[in-house]
Amino acid sequence: MIRMTLAFFVFALVLCAFIILRPGRDAPRAQAPDMTQDVEVTRAVMDPLLTPPAAPETVVVAEPVAAPVVAAPAMRITPQIATIDSSMQATTAAVLAGLGVQTGAEPLPTPATDEMRDATVAILSNITARTGAPAPEITQRPTLDAIVVQALQEGQSDDYIDALINAAAATGDLAVPEILVTSDGRVDTAVLLADIVAQATVATGGQINSSPAIDLDDSAGVEVRIVQRADETVQARFYTVQAGDSLGAIAIKFFGDVNRYTTIFEANRGTLSSPDRIRTGQRLVIPNEA
Amino acid sequence: MMRYAAAIGLVLGIFTADMALAQDVRITPARAQTSFEINGQTFTIARNQDTSDTLTGEFARTSRECPPFCITPMIVAEGVATLGELEVIRFLEQDAVAGAGLLIDSRLPDWFVQGTIPGAVNVPFQTLDMANPYRDHILRALGAVKLADGTLDFGQARALLLFSNGAWSDQSPRAIRSLLDAGYPASKLSHYRGGMQSWRALGLTVAIPRNEG
Repeated sequence: MIRMTLAFFVFALVLCAFIILRPGRDAPRAQAPDMTQDVEVTRAVMDPLLTPPAAPETVVVAEPVAAPVVAAPAMRITPQIATIDSSMQATTAAVLAGLGVQTGAEPLPTPATDEMRDATVAILSNITARTGAPAPEITQRPTLDAIVVQALQEGQSDDYIDALINAAAATGDLAVPEILVTSDGRVDTAVLLADIVAQATVATGGQINSSPAIDLDDSAGVEVRIVQRADETVQARFYTVQAGDSLGAIAIKFFGDVNRYTTIFEANRGTLSSPDRIRTGQRLVIPNEA
Repeated sequence: MMRYAAAIGLVLGIFTADMALAQDVRITPARAQTSFEINGQTFTIARNQDTSDTLTGEFARTSRECPPFCITPMIVAEGVATLGELEVIRFLEQDAVAGAGLLIDSRLPDWFVQGTIPGAVNVPFQTLDMANPYRDHILRALGAVKLADGTLDFGQARALLLFSNGAWSDQSPRAIRSLLDAGYPASKLSHYRGGMQSWRALGLTVAIPRNEG
């Protein structure tokens, strides 16, 4: 009896081992396609992402991502202005710092292209050391804040600064914050200069008027609709972009504060791919004050 | 006196015998080592004579996460030759010495400074990406000429041999793809796929770069 039980037990054990081992052997084969699929998905998601240049084995691939988005507005015929990711606040703070006014705002972050510039300079000297041939010189790209600081120190007029910055931006040498790009492909220097004055006022202890800049009822492109619902009246506001408008200018128009552009941008994500891509005639939803 | 001389002779004999033994790890049967001069700087490539030596640390690893460290194909792109160690050495002795070619370490500077192939120049892969607004400067330093219409002419550009950490590194394939995108002729590009891992696995001389990064 004991022998029978023992034999049965051994048989059960061997059977168990078989059951356990078989799927174990098949599993990697069965899972293999799944794993490669996972890999594909992660790669596809990862590749277009803006990853910091510091991370090894990854590269910032801004251009290829932007390209298909640009194709949509066919009516945009104006030259494209180069933009930088830094905020208006940072640019303004840099200008004021250049003029000797401390705002306490975050300093202008060094753009990624400057890291690239440093890296390139180092590489050029490496190559030169090996080839003995003179390397091509890299000229420093002008920065928006440096141009504005110099012009203001020289006492230049707003019109002069506008012409100067737009001439530099037209060559593609000057990058500006996205919200300063107007619907007709220029740089809205009026918004920049207004923000500099406003921030300087704050920095020196003054008050800024953050109410809407103009009378909204009497302005071109503004459309206010009253929507009656069951128990409430909702006011919906729209704005048709006029020639020469920048998103910064529209933010000042409705909120009195250039940095409120994010409110408008977020509400129009569906039709506005990037803050520098507003087009004349485009209809924007203007959210109500929170 | 004679006894001393004999003792010295014996010691020297043992020493030279040891030296002869030390030549046992050669590059090929015909040559133990090679020396060459690139732009006034002399480089020597030999092999580690310690026959018990093994790889340790990073280059002894077998299983890196994939992605991103996936096995790369033998051929990066059509027309771009894949080379082994002897061809790398010949490239250095012939093309690089004549000023017609450059051996390029495509890795990031922090890898480069830990040791590279003697004679290599560090051009990290991401500086050849089109995202680098200064890429044309590098291409011009490599011998491309900017034409009046803004395009680059690669007629006089140097032959480039690129490598990175090994068959699991996409850095040199990526650099090669970027160069091809920029218009660099495939016939002027070649790839040492084995990279630093194969180079070190054969005990070939590893150079620690000075004042370069």
